[in-house]
Amino acid sequence: MAEKTLDCLGEACPVPLIRTQKAIAELAPGDLLVVQIDHSCAMKNIPEWADKAGHNYEIQEVDDGQWEIVIEKAA
Amino acid sequence: MALAQREVEENDSVPAAVAAAAGPRKATWRDHETYRALLVQPWTYVTGAVILALLNIALVAATGKGWGVTTSLAYWGAWIWGALGGDPHRWAYFAEVKPAFNAPGFGLLSDPGSLTNLGIVAGALLAVLLAGQFRIKRLKSRRQVSAAVLGGLAMGLGARIAFGCNIGDLFTGLPSMSLHGWVFLVSIFLGAAAGSRLLVKYFI
Repeated sequence: MAEKTLDCLGEACPVPLIRTQKAIAELAPGDLLVVQIDHSCAMKNIPEWADKAGHNYEIQEVDDGQWEIVIEKAA
Repeated sequence: MALAQREVEENDSVPAAVAAAAGPRKATWRDHETYRALLVQPWTYVTGAVILALLNIALVAATGKGWGVTTSLAYWGAWIWGALGGDPHRWAYFAEVKPAFNAPGFGLLSDPGSLTNLGIVAGALLAVLLAGQFRIKRLKSRRQVSAAVLGGLAMGLGARIAFGCNIGDLFTGLPSMSLHGWVFLVSIFLGAAAGSRLLVKYFI
């Protein structure tokens, strides 16, 4: 089980979502992707996409206006 | 399953004494359910649409004009150009298309669009402070800066040619049955499709 971190700090939509989709495509099922974001729209569209694609995820607020979305690639 | 494992690992990595001393984070008034629903979580699209529609009706009643953003930004640019010694008052755009600009006494405080623009900035700041999400964001790269500047110039030029942006053309133009809103609608879809391709190809 691998874990990869994707730094999307300072990036606005739709860049974080597109980079997340590309990064997930390169992982194996069960691997974790930690997406760092500070753009609140990405807090909405990344989870919406993860729901549609069937990946489990979890959002942690790491600082004021900064979050980490941990996504587990579905089998 | 991997997500759950990760949490266990993270908890284990914190020494027990440190965790005990810090204790669980105390809930504050910001964690209150009503506060979060109203001021932290995003509102639904429908809620936002209804509030915006009511506000635009109020704006038409108060000023006689619907909401627009970019025309006033052109005024701001022209005022700055004037302050630097230029003479925008003779430009064809202001002389022929927007004569209000040359009306005596016209300024920042007598232009409803300028006031609503200042309101957007003040309101956005207030909202992000109330949500506890204010932060100074770093510039990611030179490429990001140049893309933002080029994109801003292209959008500014486009907004003048189209007599407005999504707000003046779609939000206000379409409900007032103006043909220019429909032309804008078709054009912006084509522009967004082309822009998205450029974004994915050269920027990501």
